[in-house]
Amino acid sequence: MQIDLKRDVDFIEKLDQKVKDDGSFSSWELFHLSYQASVNNLTTDFKGLRSPTLLPHVTFLTHQLECAEQVLDDMNGRAILADEVGLGKTIEAGLILKEYMLRGLVKKALILVPASLVNQWAMELTQKFYIPVTTSRKRPVWDQDNIMITSIDTAKRQQHKDIILEQNYDFVLVDEAHKLKNHQTKNYQFIRALQKKYCLLLTATPIQNKLSDIFNLVSILKPGYLGDYQTFTEKFGKNHKTLEHDAHLKQLIQKVMVRNRREDTGIDWTKRNVETVWIDFTAEEREAYNNLKEITEQSSHFAAITYLRELCSSREACYVSIKKNLLQENKENKEDYAAFLKCIEKLPNHSKALKVVELIQSMNDKCIIFTEYRATQVYLQWILQQNGITSVPFRGGFKRGKKDWMRQLFQEKAQVLIATEAGGEGINLQFCNNMINYDLPWNPMRLEQRIGRIHRYGQTEDVNIYNFAIKDTIEDHILRLLYEKIQLFQRVVGNLDAILSDLQLTNIETEVEKIFQESKTDGEIKIKIDNLSAVISNAQDYYEQEEQHGNRESS
Amino acid sequence: MAIANLHDFLFTFFKANHCDILENRGDKLSIQLTDKMDEYLLNRPFYWQYVKKLGLQGEPGKITLLTNPLLDDEEGEPIHFGSPRLQQIFRLLDEEGKFVRLYQMVQVDQQTALVPWLVLNIKVSFIGKQKKEAIKSIGINMINGGMINNIIDQLEKIQWDTKIPDFCYNLSPLIRLKSSYQRIIQLIEKELQETEHDWAIESWRHMEEEKKLLDYFYQTDKKDYTALYKKESEAIEALYRPQIAISIINGGIFHMTQSTSLNQLLD
Repeated sequence: MQIDLKRDVDFIEKLDQKVKDDGSFSSWELFHLSYQASVNNLTTDFKGLRSPTLLPHVTFLTHQLECAEQVLDDMNGRAILADEVGLGKTIEAGLILKEYMLRGLVKKALILVPASLVNQWAMELTQKFYIPVTTSRKRPVWDQDNIMITSIDTAKRQQHKDIILEQNYDFVLVDEAHKLKNHQTKNYQFIRALQKKYCLLLTATPIQNKLSDIFNLVSILKPGYLGDYQTFTEKFGKNHKTLEHDAHLKQLIQKVMVRNRREDTGIDWTKRNVETVWIDFTAEEREAYNNLKEITEQSSHFAAITYLRELCSSREACYVSIKKNLLQENKENKEDYAAFLKCIEKLPNHSKALKVVELIQSMNDKCIIFTEYRATQVYLQWILQQNGITSVPFRGGFKRGKKDWMRQLFQEKAQVLIATEAGGEGINLQFCNNMINYDLPWNPMRLEQRIGRIHRYGQTEDVNIYNFAIKDTIEDHILRLLYEKIQLFQRVVGNLDAILSDLQLTNIETEVEKIFQESKTDGEIKIKIDNLSAVISNAQDYYEQEEQHGNRESS
Repeated sequence: MAIANLHDFLFTFFKANHCDILENRGDKLSIQLTDKMDEYLLNRPFYWQYVKKLGLQGEPGKITLLTNPLLDDEEGEPIHFGSPRLQQIFRLLDEEGKFVRLYQMVQVDQQTALVPWLVLNIKVSFIGKQKKEAIKSIGINMINGGMINNIIDQLEKIQWDTKIPDFCYNLSPLIRLKSSYQRIIQLIEKELQETEHDWAIESWRHMEEEKKLLDYFYQTDKKDYTALYKKESEAIEALYRPQIAISIINGGIFHMTQSTSLNQLLD
């Protein structure tokens, strides 16, 4: 071993010259301030963080502090932060950024997050970390030293892209980095081309599909670290299971990735109470449902199943969609549908909606309702208002400012937030602990995201989730056969998307639709869905075993 | 001693740079900048280029700093440890406070000799897998060669001026400036040689390990990867090869009375 010694050669020469020239010297004040500043900026320990003492208003969790230390001390600031959903990756990233800023190592940073999260990131960084940030508004300035938060879509627009690529960033952060797993995409190449010193990639699902996903992420941080693409794929193929079995590869990846799981964090997570609320159709509604079922069985159009789902949600949703389709095309059993529409026009308030009113009145607390349909959203708002319950709508299509506004209205004024599916992503609503799944999406991933909005780090109350389903309908099948079987509500949020893509089931919704469409009898539907859930459930068990195995190996 | 209070630190900083303080509350500081400070802090080189070219009188700007970052004030700019503005000020101090030649402020009515001391504030950085730094403040009496540690603590108790007080004269150093400097550096290097450097051993071991992993990954017959392998291998060396760097934060010559000089050694 050998230690290189680097000496200061400049100082004494300059001082000597100044003395000889009788040049200008500093005052005692400036000399002393400069010394104080140096003491302040000193990294006195090989290990350890300085920001927690400077930020006494934030309570950091042990796994968050450990993560920041690991990234700073062992990973030299280039890492994948891959904690499971809801463990506070933003906090970890904020800590790391703040530490580097304290040490004077970061002055210019680019933080790339989904457009819907730009304001939330800005809020967290300023309020929790006292980091002054700039968000890209109409005319962003890229060529100054600042902490800029923007979306990849904005950054890679032609008018910004070239100038951004000219900048030398001390720190680049990409949130939702699993979107970068494909090295052929424009996003990937853009991130790769950025000039950066430190780099954090945040994702809850670092390996979504195949090992090459992680190869591509690592290649952003340390090009060549895992060899080249060809050698890598030759060696490890495209099967992801190998990761657990190749100790070398695993060791390498652990040097660039921090992954905490809920069960490792040692935090008491608030409880998750799940209750299924079964509803009976009224006789009139039942008649309409059976009527629609008969009509739909005559045609194999995929929309037919959608109509049934919609009728379970609200008369309005079903009405709007049948009407739209009837106008558009020359359909078979057009008359039947037209007659059906006449019939449902007369239906009284939907049994499910009435149940929602009843439940919300009884809970006397804030509540989020998720529905799949815009028409239902409007209808629910109306019926709640009729019953003196205040509510605000929330949709994915809302502009950033409107989303923030609605969130704030919900927090401060309204009792209920009614969100459509697209609204499920990108806002955190930890201040609320009741959720009604008014209708269930057929993709379990979307359900996980819904739950993740409220059951996450920062939630202080037990979370109540109510799943609404109407007996003896298409909803009944989905809830009993799919969701209860894969225990989605009981299991912690996490690896479901990885499992689904592993099984090549990325579009489970289509899969389920196909089953309904192609099956002749209810019995057949049951058997097929049962098989599907069994496959998922098995994979989950296998996955969990693997993870335990993996944890043992690493500790 | 580190910065105890950021607000007071900034106040002293702008005062020492001859700026007028327009408002000074516990959490808010408004400053009228001088030309020099405007040029340095406000980043508008074209304005000053233009002003100078036309021989005009420039109009330096004002700046309002909020030392409580949660204070909601539209005009102010929050400043906190780690914020770019404070980093900018620290960088300026690096240059501004680097070299001194100071005289102890004394009121005497007879001829008084002042003893020259070379004082160095030195940063020693241990750089390997991680980084650690230490500051040494060492002074050497340029007449008799006596050295003391943590001299800054003593200097803080004394009042200093850039001009020599009336009736005082400087004793000529017997040890030349450069030799004085060398003696301090040798003291530090000797100390470093006598210390066990576990961190360096650890870092070296880590370097070897990383190289081994790299070798494993490049176990391929194809020659195309040699360049990539070499590049990566060099990057590992750069990251983990242990190094100690000695740099001077600031320093200069302090002229002090013989009694002060004697007390330095006794304390």
